[in-house]
Amino acid sequence: MSTSSNGHRLGYRYAEQYTPPEPERVSDVAITTHEHVFEVDPRLMERWVLQQTFPNWDSLRIMNSRGDHLEWMHRHFANHVIPGSALLAEVDQEDHQE
Amino acid sequence: MTQLDESQDSLSVPFTPGMADNPEDLATFPDEVARPLLPLADDASPSEQFAAQWRNASYNCYSSGHKFCREVCPVMQVTRNESWAPTAFHANVVAMEKGEMDIADVAADYVNCTQCGACELRCPNTLFTGDFYRFRTRTVDVVKAARAFAVEQGIHQPGWKTWNERTNERVHEPVLGETPVSQEHVRDWSAGLDLPIGGETVLFVDCEAAFYRTSVPRAVAQVLKLAGYEFGLMGEQWCCGGPAAEMGYVDQAQRFARHNLDNWRSTGTKRVLVLDPHDYISFTEDYPKYFGDEFDIEVVLVVELFAQLLREGKLTPSVPVERTITYHDPCRLNKRKGIWEEPREILRAIPGLTFHDVDRVTQWSYCSGGGGGLPVEKPELTAAISAGRVEKAAALEVDTLVSACPWSERPLGEAGEAHSIDVVDIHEMLAASLGIEVGGSRHGGAA
Amino acid sequence: MTITADRLDEVVIALRTVLRDEQILTSKPDRYNRARVPAPFPVHRWAERLPDLAVLPTPTEEVAGVVRIANELRIPVVPRDGGTGLTDGAVPLRGGIVVDVKRMNQIKELDLENRTVTVGTGISMLKLNEVLGHHGLIYPDDPASYPCSLVGGRIGTSGWSLIGSRYGHTRDLVLSFDFVLPTGEVMHVGDGIGRKISKSSSGYQLKHLLMGHQGTLGIATEATLKLYPKPEAELSPFWAFDNYYDAYRCVGALARAGVATFAGAVLFDEHKVAYLRRDDEAYIPQPNDVRALVCAVLYGYEDEVRPAGKRLFRIAKEHRARYLGDEISEGDWAARHDRYATPLHGRTKTGQVVPMSWHCEDAAINYTHLPSVSKAWHDIVADLRRRTDVFDDWGMFTYTSADTGVDYLTEIDVGIWEQQLDDRAWEMWVKAKRDIAAVALAHNGSISACHGSCRDGEVDLVPQELGRGFDLMLDIKRTLDPNNIMNPGKYLLDRAYGGGTP
Repeated sequence: MSTSSNGHRLGYRYAEQYTPPEPERVSDVAITTHEHVFEVDPRLMERWVLQQTFPNWDSLRIMNSRGDHLEWMHRHFANHVIPGSALLAEVDQEDHQE
Repeated sequence: MTQLDESQDSLSVPFTPGMADNPEDLATFPDEVARPLLPLADDASPSEQFAAQWRNASYNCYSSGHKFCREVCPVMQVTRNESWAPTAFHANVVAMEKGEMDIADVAADYVNCTQCGACELRCPNTLFTGDFYRFRTRTVDVVKAARAFAVEQGIHQPGWKTWNERTNERVHEPVLGETPVSQEHVRDWSAGLDLPIGGETVLFVDCEAAFYRTSVPRAVAQVLKLAGYEFGLMGEQWCCGGPAAEMGYVDQAQRFARHNLDNWRSTGTKRVLVLDPHDYISFTEDYPKYFGDEFDIEVVLVVELFAQLLREGKLTPSVPVERTITYHDPCRLNKRKGIWEEPREILRAIPGLTFHDVDRVTQWSYCSGGGGGLPVEKPELTAAISAGRVEKAAALEVDTLVSACPWSERPLGEAGEAHSIDVVDIHEMLAASLGIEVGGSRHGGAA
Repeated sequence: MTITADRLDEVVIALRTVLRDEQILTSKPDRYNRARVPAPFPVHRWAERLPDLAVLPTPTEEVAGVVRIANELRIPVVPRDGGTGLTDGAVPLRGGIVVDVKRMNQIKELDLENRTVTVGTGISMLKLNEVLGHHGLIYPDDPASYPCSLVGGRIGTSGWSLIGSRYGHTRDLVLSFDFVLPTGEVMHVGDGIGRKISKSSSGYQLKHLLMGHQGTLGIATEATLKLYPKPEAELSPFWAFDNYYDAYRCVGALARAGVATFAGAVLFDEHKVAYLRRDDEAYIPQPNDVRALVCAVLYGYEDEVRPAGKRLFRIAKEHRARYLGDEISEGDWAARHDRYATPLHGRTKTGQVVPMSWHCEDAAINYTHLPSVSKAWHDIVADLRRRTDVFDDWGMFTYTSADTGVDYLTEIDVGIWEQQLDDRAWEMWVKAKRDIAAVALAHNGSISACHGSCRDGEVDLVPQELGRGFDLMLDIKRTLDPNNIMNPGKYLLDRAYGGGTP
């Protein structure tokens, strides 16, 4: 089977879904797993609230949906977004010329 | 950086709890209030025992009470009754935990849900932090569990009780149509297509498509044949069991699931193709819960497979379909699985279409009302939800609403009549564009 | 339940003269699910906050009929709109009838020439703007509850908007509304008597009086709103600072710049940044010397926003700001339209995750007092945390309320572990709220910029804040609501009837 347009291999396979990528530490309290997905250090969820069973597709669904939602919110409030980096570059350039 | 005077301690300055270099005295403050969770009392009522299982899941909603779910919930949109808001389904659990309510007080309220998943996804506890904590809002699970708990306590909804009894007798859902619902007729839809039985890959056809909208499986089978994709039909297909699970008849759901898994094994099947989003949920969420590691069947959604076959050049739609369409994102694909690109890929590959698309986030609040057993118990709500969905399509001045979910197509089709909007399945439309005479029925006629 | 079963039957029979049966809800879940709002709730005392029944009216006449009956029968009425307020306006304290306006969500008239829309008050701003967007228009009332709060609740609380520095707040955006008085009479109130008038000098300014009363003076049923062109462009830069004072000086300078497209600026203090490092993907990876943040937002035409944005970038640069980049700036701003906290932000002091309800304690504070108010408020919450992990400090935001930077919505976010709440913890919390309100008053501020001030604790100080104005409130309440049926028990208004707390 080849991959779909979003880069994922077609089809659901149980074993694959419950094998998340090897975590990498990003701070004392957080790790990363899938690309762009931060997660709590699991040691902080051992006492009062236990983590749920989370297949890979669900983590990715939430992460992608968040991006879609934020994009939607921008369009809901304005037709487009001006990137601040462009304005900062102009300011820096003007300062440099002075 | 801050000089501590005598009145100050490590709580006087900002800190992030859990950091390695935090002061040790943070662990030394005695707590005047917080206590370990008490185990359930021996005389806890069944409702209290049930609530204990779902306590944290429901508190995660109750303690926030944002209610961002409300305006995306299809039932709320047509009833505006907060007793049936997704938050209420969680608050009821908290009330049961506190001994304020009993399942008998709330069982009927839990009918009012299509399990579309909009509430869960729109909830900030999912959308903003669900992946971070591996802990998200579980309204669909809570609704299913509450329904199951009601059944366990002998509290039945009359329509669901009958529906599941009949499903049990016939091993298929009693969808109304001219084809008799029974095991002898489950493959009638494929008449004349000469499809093999069993094999490494089988096509699973849900009850609505097998007995009512037979044009859908006929389209799927013929497109697959055209692409040269090898597959067979299931040896002895029963209902996937998903609807029983959704309505709270858990034992029946698991019995059906067991039958299907065993039957796949008996025909050497490794891969199941699924054309119905509801089945896709059953096979990728329910079956893994029932069977764990034992569930080694690969599950492939036909819409995703078609998109891939198009990409690979194995399908080339060339017959123009001169229609002005919009696409209805089936809830179980868009909201519950995040699958929305592939159907659009397919539609964009069909020549002749004028496509007025509505983005997938806007469609989080769209639904046909056809899921979660709602049409069985409250057909008037399903009809109202479908009417609302079709009105949105009508505002786009389209002549056709394309869906990818057979269960949505009956209520949407009925609602579409008022606006002269035709409801067409995406698989049917692709088949037409590939020059296939699909055959079968879109309205429950015998094949 | 505060009334007997016989009495309830009498009320239901009377209500059937104005409503259909399915509009009258009396079951347990109907009542339990109309008892709370998002603010922390003494869940162990849930049963004390139940209505006796709820109704779902549609036209104004039905609301008026219900209120008339309630007034005749002397049954309390509690208006409930979105139920998303943070000061318990929609929480029944004496049982009675919850009048739930959610079915009043129709768009009645869209006037493209005068740029107004007339709606039932049960509509949410998000849903309204989905429709207005097709016409290139927007109704820019933008609270943190934007996706779920309703126009009627915004009137009843006189809400505050995130982008109010550009467009004004609810009081500026609502031109007029139909209003059911506690006697069941219906009146129309606006500037003068106009439906679409934005400024009148005719008579008393009654519109302002009939907003922000937390449902104690009546129920808004239909409102005419002021519309703006949907902005062409948005700019929302976020900047990091290595200390609070640089950020504080920067936010002041940004607000004072007098840029016309300026829609607001927000200051995040050091506690807030430490809090965001718990679970916010934008801030977890930030270097340790990121200790305070400022964001600003501008809306308008691109050829307005670009030069204005450059002006603000220059000001930020002068205050040693570090731009956090487009991805964080855009992503974080988009998330602010629905910025209700999630329970798992909660932590014990040693870092274990606990589910906490979010309380946002707010005040209106002048710019010059922000640092000392911040310090005093954090000290109050630190005292709570010294005693128990039931309370958690989630940091502070201060937001510009107006286009000149005169005053700021100043909020401290406090996590409260509801599962552990008991009477003692609730008392600790109520005292802390009173102390937090006292700090605001000691700094010449107002107890609340946006939520209202009628919850336990803070409400005790409202007479002190308003002085003679509070007595006038009592006079008005007694005049409009002779039988104290409209949302009784709120804002110490029982004093209008000679009683303290009955």
